[in-house]
Amino acid sequence: MKSRKNQTHNSKDLQQRRVNDPVVIPHSPFRSPKSTNPGAALLSCHQVFKSYQAGNQPIPVLSGVSLQVRQSEFTTIVGQSGSGKSTLLHLLGTLDQPDEGEIWLNQQRIDNMPSRQRDRIRNQEIGLIFQFYHLLPELNVLENTLVPYMIRHGVWSYLLRRRTLIDEAKELLEQVGLSHRLTHRPNQLSGGERQRTAIARALVTKPKLLLADEPTGNLDARSGNEVLELLRRLGELQSLTVIMVTHDDRIAQQSDQVIRLRDGKVVSVSAEAA
Amino acid sequence: MFKLLLSWRYLKTRFIALASIISVTLGVATLIVVNSVMSGFSHEMTNKLHGILSDVELVASGMGEIDRVEEKVEQIQSLLGDDLHGVTTVVRVPAMLNFLVHGQPRYHQIMLIGIDDQTFGNVTDFRPYLTNHFHRNGDVFRLMESGYDAELPEAGWSYRREKFRHEAYVREELERILQNQTNNLPVPIHQTPLPETTKVDKSENRDPIVNLAKLPPLPSQKPVLPTLSSDVPAGAGRELLSDDPQSFRSGAQDAWNPAPVDALAAHRAKVVLAPFDPITEQRVGIIIGIGIGRLRAHDPTTGKSQDMFFIRPGDDIELTLPSAGSQPRPLLENCTVVDFYSSKMHDYDGAFAFMPLSHLQRIRGMIDPATGGATVSAIQVKLKPNANLNAARDRLRAAFPMTHFPIMVQTWRDQQAPLLSAVEMEITILNILLFMIIAVAGFGILATFFMIVVEKTKDIGILKSLGAPSSGVMSIFLGYGLSLGIVGAGAGTMIGVLFVIYINEIASIISTLSGREVFDPSIYFFSTIPTLLNPWMVISVAGGAMLIAVLSSVLPALRAARLAPVDALRYE
Repeated sequence: MKSRKNQTHNSKDLQQRRVNDPVVIPHSPFRSPKSTNPGAALLSCHQVFKSYQAGNQPIPVLSGVSLQVRQSEFTTIVGQSGSGKSTLLHLLGTLDQPDEGEIWLNQQRIDNMPSRQRDRIRNQEIGLIFQFYHLLPELNVLENTLVPYMIRHGVWSYLLRRRTLIDEAKELLEQVGLSHRLTHRPNQLSGGERQRTAIARALVTKPKLLLADEPTGNLDARSGNEVLELLRRLGELQSLTVIMVTHDDRIAQQSDQVIRLRDGKVVSVSAEAA
Repeated sequence: MFKLLLSWRYLKTRFIALASIISVTLGVATLIVVNSVMSGFSHEMTNKLHGILSDVELVASGMGEIDRVEEKVEQIQSLLGDDLHGVTTVVRVPAMLNFLVHGQPRYHQIMLIGIDDQTFGNVTDFRPYLTNHFHRNGDVFRLMESGYDAELPEAGWSYRREKFRHEAYVREELERILQNQTNNLPVPIHQTPLPETTKVDKSENRDPIVNLAKLPPLPSQKPVLPTLSSDVPAGAGRELLSDDPQSFRSGAQDAWNPAPVDALAAHRAKVVLAPFDPITEQRVGIIIGIGIGRLRAHDPTTGKSQDMFFIRPGDDIELTLPSAGSQPRPLLENCTVVDFYSSKMHDYDGAFAFMPLSHLQRIRGMIDPATGGATVSAIQVKLKPNANLNAARDRLRAAFPMTHFPIMVQTWRDQQAPLLSAVEMEITILNILLFMIIAVAGFGILATFFMIVVEKTKDIGILKSLGAPSSGVMSIFLGYGLSLGIVGAGAGTMIGVLFVIYINEIASIISTLSGREVFDPSIYFFSTIPTLLNPWMVISVAGGAMLIAVLSSVLPALRAARLAPVDALRYE
């Protein structure tokens, strides 16, 4: 596979050392020298609170989370189940709104925007990947990849650009190694292939920020590896900022920044390589 | 764009959508078929009523008479001017019609209508309903040699000649036998066959020595059609017609008919005085409704009906009718049935009989001997096709006010108002009921859609996470509902319209399969199932079905739109 061949040379010893490990990241992939302003915070949140209502009892999920993510960095959020990692990711991805606190993306406050604008930001500036892929079962691989464009454009403007958009999607699918699977439905694909389709879908609109919610959590070691390598390589190409929720410490160790959550609070921020 | 694609994909892949489509299809098709047939029936019926009744009628109230007819007709003509198509005058009088069946008399209460055959056909649909096609454009009161409807039993001159020849023969043979019995002589059996010719040869027919066994078969010897006269012995039963007043008298006094009123007998004697040969002559022509002399038997196993005709063109009948004037007397009149009137309107076919207006006026004494002017009971007016019916009626009412003239002015709609409004109400109620079928289909769509929304919760979350706005998600389901409506209503319209076009073929196929008649033309006014496809009706039914489909998808679509993306995605 293409992604394997593209592995960088100096990762070899690392790979050999951890030959039995399920998931291996050869080196921190998202520290790109191409980044224009490496020091600026692309995404930040301040004192974010979120609780859910269960019956009459509010259950606090996040209680005062603050963090900063610089452009082109690879950040992992780790923590036990129920520590609020996914909720935090959803808030960052504008899928949900915090009870309190502020979230800023690209010098824009996004948490209290009208839903239309949040929809637009989600569509154009953020890519999302989930543990369970979340592909649309009625559409084939190519159509699934094109869905963000279909959402962005109306019928006519989509049909007018159809050719170029399809070419773009095909190119991306070729990069993720699915060019032979274009007309397959998700239920005809393996888990790894599905996740690679989801990556293609997340990246087809060339977002600035990629949010991944345990993208390897449902995959075996090899597929997980492939997915991570893909993320690294494509991230390098697009100078992508990645925030990944994981409970895999080994992945976390490869990232630029690790944010540990416990009971809805940030317990440590380790800027490993910065 | 994604809305279109997903609506289409959902439609293609959901089996449950098919169920909704089928329910819409069936509802639409049923509504179209029932509506077309109902309006076809009512259209045919009103057409027929309209045709028979003419447009506006000036009726003498309470069985009275209208006098100074020419004056009034001229007044009507000048009043209506260009709107007028034609005017005719009629005399209507209730009468009794009687004839013999197997020697037993049958009586029918009829409405005798005297018509002017020159103008009557212009004003009402009359000639098309006659069964002899020569009568449709000729002298309607003449018995014809041929041209009678092939589906009816044999009728016309040939039938009449055979019948009266046979009757005369039977009478003479019986007389001969009685003669021989009184003389105690053996009855000789003659070898000479009855000649096969239909030409009237009195000398041969009167020959008393004829072979009974060689008698030619009667045209009316089909099993279902008993002849009027085959077992009427002379003298034993009443002669329906006779050249001889004696036979009338003897017939009038036998067991089934006790001695008649003297005046009636005297009148009968007077009426039949003229020598008359029924084999070569006809009496005054009368056209009777086909239902009068007909017995209709329904076979419960096949559902078909069979007809027996006790009377047919060529037969003679007797009429009893009241004379005109303040003290009506019973009048007797012998007539020859020359044709049937078959409008397929049961009420009319079973009651109407037509005879020449002038003859009826004469026998009823409606002609003023001093002036020669005759009275009538109604003036019928036919307007030009686009003339305003009610305006014409109102103008005539103003000209002939009820306070001054004993005349009622009515349009055909006024006359048939109860029937027309009943039919209209029936159609309205049926439409309401049938639209409920589509409403049921709508609730089916509602339930189906809620299920689809639940099933698609994850997809909705995915779409929202990719930036699809709530309105977009909503329009997926609205579009889905609309496409269900369009496909369902389209298919329903096609099936419905095809069903309506081929309804008679379908009816006959169902009859063959089930062995039961679905549409028995003898029962209804029509030979085929009448249909009327109103394009506006089809459009509104299809549009209504689509609207219901969209409306019933609004709630599920709203629910889908309100779904929080996080909740939708958490669902696994």
